[in-house]
Amino acid sequence: MSRSRRSRVVTVMEREIKLGLVARIKTGDSAAFEIVYEAFRACLFSFLVRLSRRRDVAEDLLEETWLRFVARARDLSADTCLAAWLYTVARNQHASWCRNRALHEERISDLTPSWPALAPGETPFEAASRTETERRLERALACLTLRDREVLLLVAVEDLTPSEAASSLGLTPEALRKRLQRARERLAIEMAEEEAPPQAKAG
Amino acid sequence: MNFRDELVTGLAGLRTCDADPQRVERIRVRCLAALEAQRRRERSRRPRLADWPRRLELSAVLGLSALYLAVAITSSLALLR
Repeated sequence: MSRSRRSRVVTVMEREIKLGLVARIKTGDSAAFEIVYEAFRACLFSFLVRLSRRRDVAEDLLEETWLRFVARARDLSADTCLAAWLYTVARNQHASWCRNRALHEERISDLTPSWPALAPGETPFEAASRTETERRLERALACLTLRDREVLLLVAVEDLTPSEAASSLGLTPEALRKRLQRARERLAIEMAEEEAPPQAKAG
Repeated sequence: MNFRDELVTGLAGLRTCDADPQRVERIRVRCLAALEAQRRRERSRRPRLADWPRRLELSAVLGLSALYLAVAITSSLALLR
């Protein structure tokens, strides 16, 4: 899904939320669930796959996130921001997955990532059409630490507001700003290294 | 536009991807089933909650009947003495 299409979906979602989408979900309305599922499914999966760098893990976490959403739907407050709520749960699911396997950040980084990779169903033409910058960005993102990656993903990729992202990450707005700043700097360094010719890297 | 701005724009332009279609469908089915189960539980709980006026009426009728009976017995006993 392109960025502009995603923005349109989000705009539609905002209107729907104003019309009482949260209220409908609280009553267990299947149609309301379908709207939310269609709007956020791919975005959440992209977030999880970039966070975990593994498609299989991301699919498991996606399922857990949606099941948690359905289980807690009745308890949502009327002013719940669905995007922030879903990303928070998804991030917590990922953190829980890391804890369950007693994996520290360094060890997670050692796992062979299956992301970035050719998406299933993606034709060679589609793969070739992805810009070189996009591929480099994906590689650079995958090289960042989990803390840097999650803040960049929430704010820059998933377009959460700083306050929503801070709430998702359990940070104060000031701490978020600093972490975002550091993450951007590290991403810039990674990108610069990606650009450097192999001889320069070796030297 | 400096390099950092380009990075942020680049990040915002990263495309989304989706899970395996079969998995997507499985999640949808599981969630809808969970919602349906919640609705069923809610429906089965509702009649018990809606029952209270009838229970109140029954209690009032029984109480008044018992009071009437007690008064009647007391009056009968008073007459016999």
